[in-house]
Amino acid sequence: MKICCILIFSTPLFAVNSHLTDTLYGTRKLGVILEVIKANYRDINFVYDPEKFRDVTVTGFRFEKDLNVRQNLDNLEEVAPVSYLIEGSTIALRRIHTVSEDFQQGLIKGKVLDENDVPVFGASVFIPGTDKGSVTDIDGNYELHTDVFPVEIQVSYLGYKIQKIRVSEDRENMVIRLEPAFESLNEVVVTGQGADVRKKRLSTRVTTINAEELEKIPSQRIDQQLSAKLPNAQINLTGGQAGATSIIRARGVNSAFVNSTPIIYLDGVRLDNLNTRSALGGSSQGSSMSALADIPMDNIEKIEYINGGAATTLYGSDAANGVIQIFTKKGGRPGTNLTLQAESGFETPTTDFLYFNRTKDLLFRTGAYQKYRLNVNGESESGFGYNFSGSFLNSSGVQIHDQNENQKADFSTGFRARLADNIDYESSFIYVYNRYKRNRNGNQGGYTGLWFAEDGASSITGPGFNNRLDELSGEEFAAIREFVDNAEKLQDNHIVVNRFTTSQIFKYRPVDNLLLKFTGGIDFRMQDQNTVQTNAYLSATRGQEITDQGSIQNVQRNYLGVTLELTAQHTYEIGDFSLISTVGGQFFRTRDRQILYSGSNIRDGAQTISDAAIKDSDEYLNEVLNYGVYLQENIGYADKLFLDLGIRGDRNPAFGDNIGTQFYPKAGLSYMISSEPWFKPGVLNSLRFRTSYGIAGNLPPAYANEKTISFDGFKGAQAAFFGQPGNDNLKPEKTTTIEAGIDIGFWNNRINVSAGYYRALTRDALFYVPPAPSGGYRVSQLYNIGEIENYGLEISTVIVPVQTQDITLSINASLNTLHNEVVDAGGAPAFNINGFSSRTLQTVVQEGYPVGFIRGNYGVFDDNGVLEQTTPQSYLGSTIPEVFGNLGLNFSYKNLSLFSNASYQTGAYAANWDAQFRYYYGASEQFVPEGEIEVNGRRNWLNITNRFVEKTDFLKIRTIGMSYYLTPREKAFYKSLTFGITALNPLNFASSTFDPEATISGAAQGQGGASTGGISYATYSAPRQFLASVKINF
Amino acid sequence: MRKKSIYLVFIIICAFSCVENPNVTEDVYLENPHSVSSWVVGLKRQLAVTTNTVNVNVAITSDNYFNNYSQYSKVFDIPQIDYFDVDVNSLQADVQALREMAVYGLDKVITADASATAEDEAFMHFCLGYANILGGELFTGLPEANLGKMLTSGEILTLAVGNLDAAISLETDPKNIQVYHLLKARAYRSLGDVTHAVREAEISLSDPSLLYQIEFDGQNGVRNEMQNAVFDALPNRLAPLPRLDFLDPKYYAVGPPTTDQKPVALAKAEEAYLILAEAYLSEQNTGKAREVLQKLLILVGERPVVRVDDSGETRNGGNRTDYPLTAVPVRFDSTGPFREGLILDRQAGNIAVHTVSGTSVTLSDIAHAGGVDELLYQVYLLRQEIFIGEGRRLTDLGIKYPVSQTEQDNNPNVPDAYIIAQLPAFIPGNGGMDNFSTEPDGSIAIETDMNRIIVQNKTASEVVPFF
Repeated sequence: MKICCILIFSTPLFAVNSHLTDTLYGTRKLGVILEVIKANYRDINFVYDPEKFRDVTVTGFRFEKDLNVRQNLDNLEEVAPVSYLIEGSTIALRRIHTVSEDFQQGLIKGKVLDENDVPVFGASVFIPGTDKGSVTDIDGNYELHTDVFPVEIQVSYLGYKIQKIRVSEDRENMVIRLEPAFESLNEVVVTGQGADVRKKRLSTRVTTINAEELEKIPSQRIDQQLSAKLPNAQINLTGGQAGATSIIRARGVNSAFVNSTPIIYLDGVRLDNLNTRSALGGSSQGSSMSALADIPMDNIEKIEYINGGAATTLYGSDAANGVIQIFTKKGGRPGTNLTLQAESGFETPTTDFLYFNRTKDLLFRTGAYQKYRLNVNGESESGFGYNFSGSFLNSSGVQIHDQNENQKADFSTGFRARLADNIDYESSFIYVYNRYKRNRNGNQGGYTGLWFAEDGASSITGPGFNNRLDELSGEEFAAIREFVDNAEKLQDNHIVVNRFTTSQIFKYRPVDNLLLKFTGGIDFRMQDQNTVQTNAYLSATRGQEITDQGSIQNVQRNYLGVTLELTAQHTYEIGDFSLISTVGGQFFRTRDRQILYSGSNIRDGAQTISDAAIKDSDEYLNEVLNYGVYLQENIGYADKLFLDLGIRGDRNPAFGDNIGTQFYPKAGLSYMISSEPWFKPGVLNSLRFRTSYGIAGNLPPAYANEKTISFDGFKGAQAAFFGQPGNDNLKPEKTTTIEAGIDIGFWNNRINVSAGYYRALTRDALFYVPPAPSGGYRVSQLYNIGEIENYGLEISTVIVPVQTQDITLSINASLNTLHNEVVDAGGAPAFNINGFSSRTLQTVVQEGYPVGFIRGNYGVFDDNGVLEQTTPQSYLGSTIPEVFGNLGLNFSYKNLSLFSNASYQTGAYAANWDAQFRYYYGASEQFVPEGEIEVNGRRNWLNITNRFVEKTDFLKIRTIGMSYYLTPREKAFYKSLTFGITALNPLNFASSTFDPEATISGAAQGQGGASTGGISYATYSAPRQFLASVKINF
Repeated sequence: MRKKSIYLVFIIICAFSCVENPNVTEDVYLENPHSVSSWVVGLKRQLAVTTNTVNVNVAITSDNYFNNYSQYSKVFDIPQIDYFDVDVNSLQADVQALREMAVYGLDKVITADASATAEDEAFMHFCLGYANILGGELFTGLPEANLGKMLTSGEILTLAVGNLDAAISLETDPKNIQVYHLLKARAYRSLGDVTHAVREAEISLSDPSLLYQIEFDGQNGVRNEMQNAVFDALPNRLAPLPRLDFLDPKYYAVGPPTTDQKPVALAKAEEAYLILAEAYLSEQNTGKAREVLQKLLILVGERPVVRVDDSGETRNGGNRTDYPLTAVPVRFDSTGPFREGLILDRQAGNIAVHTVSGTSVTLSDIAHAGGVDELLYQVYLLRQEIFIGEGRRLTDLGIKYPVSQTEQDNNPNVPDAYIIAQLPAFIPGNGGMDNFSTEPDGSIAIETDMNRIIVQNKTASEVVPFF
């Protein structure tokens, strides 16, 4: 019922359908007329140089609403010196010169191409300070006349960097290649706004990454691809196994109960980001799995990313960690375009961090990688756009017996159509198949590859081996190798994901300044996890014959998310003021159903549980429903000062009985100082200040408020016992962010600097308070009792030190500082979010410390290196870095480009639990004084955890690549060819002896729980890949 | 057309806009009939869960077993008992969960369900009483209720007696009544009340082979953890003190362990004889003590013994690799005589498994035991052997767990005095209770005979309550 009210609220907007009369302009400036035409066709991108039309006056033009844009422009052509070209939704206008140009001497002709050698339609090519200029035609052609050489010509196109080129003689075929602008404040964004808004109107940053940038980095999954691309966010791949989770965090860790992964939208539809826990069957071995690993990647037009804070307020109750929105392609250039791409190469294990040299020989090998992709797109004259992509990827992985194999297939279609003059329709359908193997990892007891080899556990596994691998004789090593080979060969565990996502968008423009947008869609993700443990495997790894303990465990997780959103955006201009009002309602419902079915005492060879002597099953169901209404007003003054105000109200059945609607307000200011008339561009050519305040939240899980009774079977009867204590006052935790920043462009935007400071305070932070044992409950209950603070600087820059006709060099870098602290724990006892027992090693939430700091025993040694005393539960370091950022470099020479990017962090620590076990099992003496071993042996191994905590500073080069574009000089069967060579994860520099990123992301509260990593424990590093690709555009 | 579209959107949204909790809330549970029967089964399940936590941790903390693997507590063997230890928290939580469940059953479930019977109520009082016995025997003190005031172990044991009286008054099954009397005897013994202990033990012996066992359900995730630790899991996790080798495993499975989970005794007639013998010895009455011990040995001899293939046992947990695997002699401390037959060669054929009680003590040992102390030594050896794997040894050693850190952090009523474990001064540290050495000929010498230590310290407040 409540949701109905919300929608009724927005219905009057349908009724506002004022009648527009045709307008006859007597004598008006051409520029003014063009503004009127623009305002009436807002979905059309008009490209022209206003300077060219400034001096033109037009008489006798009548704008007629009933005519389409083409007819109105035809009428304009008759009375004004203007011509136009239409391509898709872009119209390029140019001035026709009426004077004869025959006497002009110089001629400059050529093409403007984008970074993929695709002709650019509608780019302005002109000679600054003169009226000489041209707009490129559909094939990117331009032609300029000049009466003097040398001359500097300037080329501009929205979303691309302005290029200035000095020409000293006639040119018949001068090719100008545009480079995408790092960030254009005129760019239109959607995320966080409900509808289209230009970036400069926003008081917060929106990072946009376009398809070309994404395509440069071949990768298997979206988080890997983005890992060095978001200047103010950190993406750490916490495990090298296919499908392993990553830790994504931007403005620190604002929650101690849910992980910092942003929510993800695809064309306005919420995707499963696996923030619901895996309730059954564990988390697929020690390493959790990620729903990010199967987000479709082949049909992306652009990605928008907003950090948490004021930017995400309109996403309401679960957007405190930021929002990633993916937009898929729904059209292409006119006609039909075909692209074929093949990518192939090899993968090598990242062995940099292995302790024993011979671990590599035991567990790893070099693998093969291949990927094929087909894309067909196009657009008809009537504006119907389509895009189809299909791709197949096969990675054999770097572990022996294909234990890290991954196969992935994507199929996607996107359509865009104009149903009527004022109704547009966009649609996308995406299917992803992802299959990967998962051998045992972490320490699951018994044999586990890395734990066996690297942690010294080989001495207690199977028949027991000498665990100092590098000291073994050839014969001894052959024996251990045979054991490992057999143990790996006999494992057969895999995960299969089938995912279907669709988005349907209708845009309806009842009057010319009102846009209604309806978005509806679903994300359905089915994940099957299959673990087969044969008697042969058990016998081989346990050193004795086992005949009746073979088992198969299947866990299926079905996720269905439904998103419905209705937005109305109204634009209005009065005098110097422009107002964009947005009102909308969003509804989402997710259903997570998990089913476990297992069989034990099953004969080897059986693939289903139907042959098992004992069969068992279980089920878990979680449904979330959230509905909210938002209202936003963006007020602009003279295109330089913008005030952004908004509020969202949310309701959710998971909130406690005493909690009603939750409100999330925001306010912000953006001031384009460089748009002031008194601002004289010089070295400094663009300057903006921005500041904002906003609240976003994190939802508690469904039903977490209710007091429940749990049941299980016991000896054939129904057993009831305490479930969850319940909390009638449960509500979302809310993060209030205050931020301020400055965006500066120097030297014709060749140096862009963006700097900001934020402070985010999470109030009513949700803590899983460990229950007092006297209460009889074993389940921790969520209470809104904490307060977590994050603050820091966010600085990013793009510098283009070299830019000539043939050579361009650009460098981008970002630096983010971060301070995180639990300022108030509400009197709750400290609790762990990761790790083991409170007596050994944990990452902990405790007042006065950063979230997830390492807590363990601190041992003090005497002069002889013998342990003197140990202090339990000591602070051993923060797992959250103080500084992190990304670096990137792009260099191009004519058709050749080189690129590289990297990520770094400093100021964080992690515990080397591998080394601690290695010490315990006698495989190493690393980190421990000799005196201690002589006197006490290894029995104090748990009392000296501080010795095993290491700093995790790193610089990781994520990508080094090279590409070469080739366009045929004459007509050929293809339009362009692109060759590429890329190395992924080629170089790692780290202060720790273990991989500072591979620090188990699993959380104590299970999948989706808060995690900061921080413990190195039998986890694989991401492998290296060396790939070559060829792409043909037809 | 436009209106129709709007209505259509409404209908779609309304159809999606309800979620119901798929789980059972407290209100729904209590409002529906026959809640008591499921709560009684829930209590039986909790008895099994609590027994698992107590059994494994007591085995490791005491001299009975050494944790030879990386799972379970790595410090209780030392013994190192910290109030922040997760296993201390689990022990308190599982003991108090049984109490809270029993209280909830009596206060809420029984009152809400018209079908509740006197037996149901008696069972809940019994569970409450047993929870209080565990609390009184294993902890220095515990809160009386959720976040309640602290009670000393003596106060908790006194509560247990009252709970058991309530159970007896409601119970109709005579067998169960004997069990409750035996548990009362146990509580009185721990309180040092000889008169009442003797009286209750004698009443319970009206069923001379009394046996009340806790059952497990491997298919529903409540397996017998002690069985897993000593038999099912590979490698075997717990290794017995070599002189107790012949009593290991007490629990075993034939075929998949999931469907073969052996029960654990909660109360058995042997205990009544042992209480009586100890009581008579406290009165210097060695004759009557000998008499009941002889009856006890006859009962033990009547308990079932099965032959089991335990050739998979290789004591290969990994922390200690010198556990004897062949039949070698063992002595109980560095000066005692070597004894044969206590350490088994499990590769030489099936071994005898004492599923209820077994002992190395013979009628002759009883007959030849001299004064009070020698008989008292036999009583404590018998207690150790007969109760092995039943979570009883720690009380005989005088060790008590502290209240957990999580309790103290949540509960302002917990003074610091309760967060320190009770470890009598005579308990050797550094693994001294589990340590042994191997002679060149393979024979084994245990470092410390804890039963000897107990008798030597019989007047200490922590042990031998009748003295």
